[in-house]
Amino acid sequence: MTAGDILLSVEDLVVRFRTHEGTIHAVNGVSFQLEEGERLGLVGESGCGKSVTNLAMIRLLPQPAGRIEGGHVMFDSQDLTTLREDELRSIRGRDIAMIFQDPMTSLNPVLTVEEQMVETIMAHREISRDKARLRAIELLKMVGIPQPETRLDNFPHQFSGGMRQRVMIAMALALEPKLMIADEPTTALDVTIQAQVLELLRGLTEQSGSAMILITHDLGVVAGMTNRINVMYAGYIVETATTLDLFATPSHPYTIGLLHSIPRVDAVVGEPLIPIEGRPPDMRRAPTFCPFAARCRWRLEVCWQENPPLRPIVDGTRVVMTGTGATHQIACFNPPTEEEAVAGKPLRPGFVSAPPPAGMIDEVGAGRVGSTADLEGLVGEIQAEEGPLSLAPSAGGLPIPPEPEHHGEPGIFHDD
Amino acid sequence: MAAPAIPVAQGVDRRASRGLWGDAARRLLRNKPAILGLCFIALFVVAAVFAPILAPYGPLEGGLAQRLDPPSPAHVMGTDSQGRDEYSRVLYGAQVSLLAGVASVVMGVAIGGTIGALAGGVGGKLDSVLMRFVDVLLAVPGILLAIGIVAFLGRGLPQIMFAVAVVNVPIFARILRGSLLSLRESDYITAARSLGASGTRILLRHLLPNSLSPLIVAATLALATAIIDVAGLGFLGLGPPDPRTPEWGTMLTDSTKFIRQAPWLLLFPGAAIVVSAVGFNLLGDGLRESLDPRMRR
Repeated sequence: MTAGDILLSVEDLVVRFRTHEGTIHAVNGVSFQLEEGERLGLVGESGCGKSVTNLAMIRLLPQPAGRIEGGHVMFDSQDLTTLREDELRSIRGRDIAMIFQDPMTSLNPVLTVEEQMVETIMAHREISRDKARLRAIELLKMVGIPQPETRLDNFPHQFSGGMRQRVMIAMALALEPKLMIADEPTTALDVTIQAQVLELLRGLTEQSGSAMILITHDLGVVAGMTNRINVMYAGYIVETATTLDLFATPSHPYTIGLLHSIPRVDAVVGEPLIPIEGRPPDMRRAPTFCPFAARCRWRLEVCWQENPPLRPIVDGTRVVMTGTGATHQIACFNPPTEEEAVAGKPLRPGFVSAPPPAGMIDEVGAGRVGSTADLEGLVGEIQAEEGPLSLAPSAGGLPIPPEPEHHGEPGIFHDD
Repeated sequence: MAAPAIPVAQGVDRRASRGLWGDAARRLLRNKPAILGLCFIALFVVAAVFAPILAPYGPLEGGLAQRLDPPSPAHVMGTDSQGRDEYSRVLYGAQVSLLAGVASVVMGVAIGGTIGALAGGVGGKLDSVLMRFVDVLLAVPGILLAIGIVAFLGRGLPQIMFAVAVVNVPIFARILRGSLLSLRESDYITAARSLGASGTRILLRHLLPNSLSPLIVAATLALATAIIDVAGLGFLGLGPPDPRTPEWGTMLTDSTKFIRQAPWLLLFPGAAIVVSAVGFNLLGDGLRESLDPRMRR
């Protein structure tokens, strides 16, 4: 296979969880493709389905609640959703490897690093224990762990968080997988270590030619790491573009909201951050209209009635799914203009975002829908601070909701 | 593959590698009650193992001429109703208690552990069936269950061991199943699965070793109750078939008839039961504290 070939093709993936509280519509028909060696970012706030999409791809959803209820995952011309468990097992680790968010809990505490690494290598390759050990030493050296020979005998608790994540990366790279899935690999790490680990991850996947899916809520992380970005919201891909296009012309109201809620190092002092009001929709309800409508400042009446499909920004463009020429697509009935994207709010004279239809106020939660006037008052309270700031937003890319205020009407902010 | 320029992480932990068990042992040795418990257990084990050397008389030696003698230099704990040296019989009694206690706990861990591992490891229908069976066992009071089993199987040391083991089975089964189920959802199990580890490998290599520590604690505590259960069965007349066998519970029953003339005959076997049971309880608590990360100080 050469670069440019499609390695992974996710087609209309639907994942649901059956729980005591009802069905959770976690992923609602997600489609994307990945070329050999390509690095894709999956961005979105907590609970938007980005991790579930990836766990579903290699069928590691929590059992028995999580189920793939539709779609296909074609990897190397095999459909992962229908493979037998033992066939799938030989793919996990060898062809697709994963790195998890919290290195403190992703290593088995009672086994030494050597036991865990050698076990992984020997599970997939017919080699002797000594050879596997040598390979483990080589891998630890590659990820920058000093004295790998002695460190191999250590237990996970004798490593720091950053070092453990290096060990995880070494294990994931042990078999030079074609696809590496990194699920928030740096979220649990110190900011100074984050950059080192990301750099390491990029360098090593570039060398082995592995494709990578980087899951994160941090737009700052994906900016320098990926070729292409899918922005996810409530189990949908709402915007997909090359990294360059996405940052140059963010087009979905949610993406624009995300970018405006991150403090920037080059921000003018005193320039307000614009938070995304409200919360993600209740995933227990099957979505029938645009999932972002309740929080959107550009919403039209149609947004309360129909769910916009993902389609090219420029009508009639032939859709390219991968590579540097990938088509910029969004799922929005009323895309903001470029000026509006820069301003972070609608600039059209007289434009008022459509209120929810009468019968729907309860359903969407009245508290989630604030008028523009309410929002303006709030914006003034949150100011960009002076001095250099981290690009990392608060968890989920959302600002901390302020204390609910009483306006003699249903609360402006949902407080459940 | 050439290594890219990677910043080498600083601040390496250079402590000697002791591992989880090494750290746990260190914490245990700092725990004073646990050390006291260990001393009691040592006393008990030494008594059982070296009874033939330590005992001044044989367990069956004696004559009615010296019956119910009070403690004296010749008989430090006095003599029983058959004129046998009480001190020697208490020492020999430790053999029966140690053997029955350890054997029944080992059996209980083996049976209960297997049930728990199958229920928690395989899950599904098997889990439901096995756990309902365990619930049935739990519904019957322990000592009653043991009496029933001994009554059904007939008197004898192996039967006693089995009966006490069955009483402990539900405890071990539930503990192991519970910790397997909670570990199953842990990140490192998902991580191991994502790297292609098989179901058996995950159960044997990742899940079981991590669920051992609660099992060890429970087994230590179960040793204490097993010793009491064995003595209890003896006290109720379901001890070893040969009534001359020195067994603490049986010795207590025999002595109750002479409680007015020779109260020391109740005191010494009773103290032996208490000391050994308390010893295992203290050690068990100490082990729980040193093995449970949440209780680390």
